[in-house]
Amino acid sequence: MMTPLALGVLAGAVLSGTSLLYATLGETLVERSGIVNLGLEGVLLMGASVGFSVTAVTGNPWIGLAAAALTGGLANALFGWLVVLRKANQLASGLAMMFFGFGLSALVGAPHVGAVIVGLPKWRPAWLAALPWVSASTLFNYDLLTWLALPVALLVWWVLFKTRWGLGVRAVGESPGAAYASGRNPAVLQFQALGFGGVLAGLAGAHLSLSLTLTWAEYMTAGRGFIAIALVIFSKWNPLRAVAGALLFGGAEALQLQLQARGSLISPFILDMMPYVLTLLVLLAWGGSRRLAAPAGLGRTFFGSE
Amino acid sequence: MKKSGFITLILALACFTAQADPPRLVIGAVYVGSVNDYGYNRSFHDALAQVARDLPGVKVLEAENVPESATAEGIMEGMIQQGARLIFPTSFGYAASARKVAKRHKDVAFEYAGDGDASRNFGVFFGSTQIAWYPMGVAAGRMTKTNKLGFVVGMPIGYALGNVNAFQMGARSVNKKVQTVVVVTGGWADKAKEAGAANALMDQGCDVVGMHVDSPATIIQTVEARGGMSIGFQSTEARALAPKGWITGLGFTWAPFFTKVARDVMAGKFRGEAVYQGLGGMVAIAPFGPSVSADVQRQVNEAAQKIIKGFNPFTGPIKDNRGNLVLPPGASIGSDQMGSFDWYAEGIIGKVR
Repeated sequence: MMTPLALGVLAGAVLSGTSLLYATLGETLVERSGIVNLGLEGVLLMGASVGFSVTAVTGNPWIGLAAAALTGGLANALFGWLVVLRKANQLASGLAMMFFGFGLSALVGAPHVGAVIVGLPKWRPAWLAALPWVSASTLFNYDLLTWLALPVALLVWWVLFKTRWGLGVRAVGESPGAAYASGRNPAVLQFQALGFGGVLAGLAGAHLSLSLTLTWAEYMTAGRGFIAIALVIFSKWNPLRAVAGALLFGGAEALQLQLQARGSLISPFILDMMPYVLTLLVLLAWGGSRRLAAPAGLGRTFFGSE
Repeated sequence: MKKSGFITLILALACFTAQADPPRLVIGAVYVGSVNDYGYNRSFHDALAQVARDLPGVKVLEAENVPESATAEGIMEGMIQQGARLIFPTSFGYAASARKVAKRHKDVAFEYAGDGDASRNFGVFFGSTQIAWYPMGVAAGRMTKTNKLGFVVGMPIGYALGNVNAFQMGARSVNKKVQTVVVVTGGWADKAKEAGAANALMDQGCDVVGMHVDSPATIIQTVEARGGMSIGFQSTEARALAPKGWITGLGFTWAPFFTKVARDVMAGKFRGEAVYQGLGGMVAIAPFGPSVSADVQRQVNEAAQKIIKGFNPFTGPIKDNRGNLVLPPGASIGSDQMGSFDWYAEGIIGKVR
């Protein structure tokens, strides 16, 4: 049975967008605390690689998932040690972390290339499967991470905007000096934001290797970490807008593959560029807007607490 | 055709023979990935293990995950210092490094898996898979119920187009109604896009999917989860990924050629040549899956035998998928021109550029 284009694109957008959303949410948390982690791509890779390797060894994808989350948290903690405690330059440290992630993920994953794993179980409620078209498509046949993607986005939004801790994180991101003067410890809050953000990035990587592709290959993220950094800007550092961003980008990727499968007469090279052209357009359109723009202290190193 | 391993260099030196006598021949092999990939790199590793078993006194040095950069040059120099007299640079991207090292060491034989010119101490070889895809198409054309086949291509290079063309032509030889839908992902190992491509093909009602990417694992498993059938590539072992939907596949068998080369080097009569072999030589058909009837198996094997005896499906008249005559009657594309395809054969749904 043929699946209508819109449903195929939607289904693809959700599958591909899940890891993008977790990565974007993680980076949003981190950037709200005033830190840019350009090493996100490396963190995703480490999550994907460790998640896959641990699953291959233990045979249990849940243990792999937990290991990936822990790896993401630890990777960001290492980054935090560099940029918060050692006060290293964030952009340079981020790029170094990215290359570190490339290398470490390749090293960890190498013995498990080609391993066959049981991925995260997928589950589709019977009443949804009964809808027209759905049973023949991948729609609503999701693993736990995809089912929880929207609730997690809500949770991150709630934590950032409705809790004292979130207020503290945002205060540090806007003005670490002012936050410090009001009795908050910027370093502690930044470490916490980095830790939680890293866990989310680790889960994002694990979704790629443990659910979407069931494999590990070097550099399999293929730039998704950088797309997520762009999506943070697109969503104006708002976790709820990140949902739309992840779906939009995932949808652009799904659309180009679906169009090819339908025999579109557009060049595959042009179709392949669509998601990135979209990212550029969005950044262009958003570029001039200063309202709701970046946290004021983003990327700056705070020296005042010593 | 292998995408380069990104950063890490893991140097694994393994000996297949542990004996007190000095080895009669030391062979060095340089791999772009891990030999555990159940695919491309594994095929070379297995072949050299076979050579070491068959020829007493042969010792093999292996280096995995070697980037396609100047690093490869250093690795090869190191192997020569350890006594290697025969080097296998097994990835396409080692061309420049391997040719440089070969110029410096005229007494060392090189067998490079790729293309280009051969010289006295520099041989070029590869498994010519394109025509071998023809019997795969026969299998797919017989097995499909929807008459729509899918094919996922990493990058639309000539060799990949040749694979797709032979696949469709083989399928059409047994099923006039069959079409092949091509989806290009734009990378040899963009796994998430491979999953998306396989899903898109299944959404369009394709029920048999073939592929030309680094590792077939993601596509085969995605198709299996959607209840489709697949035809593997790069490894004859990939059937473990699809217990239900596996039809058959193509893999590489380098051992006979490697053994001959090793013998030549030991006898001092090595001369570099360009050697491209297809079915019956460096390319082999994988075992069939449980759903493939004896009749289909017989027909696939017949097509394979025909090819081994010299049948070339790329013999005109051939039309492309826009109706242009791309090969006039009597003209043919030889196995040394397989990179030259820039068109899709009749019945393929796809656009080259």
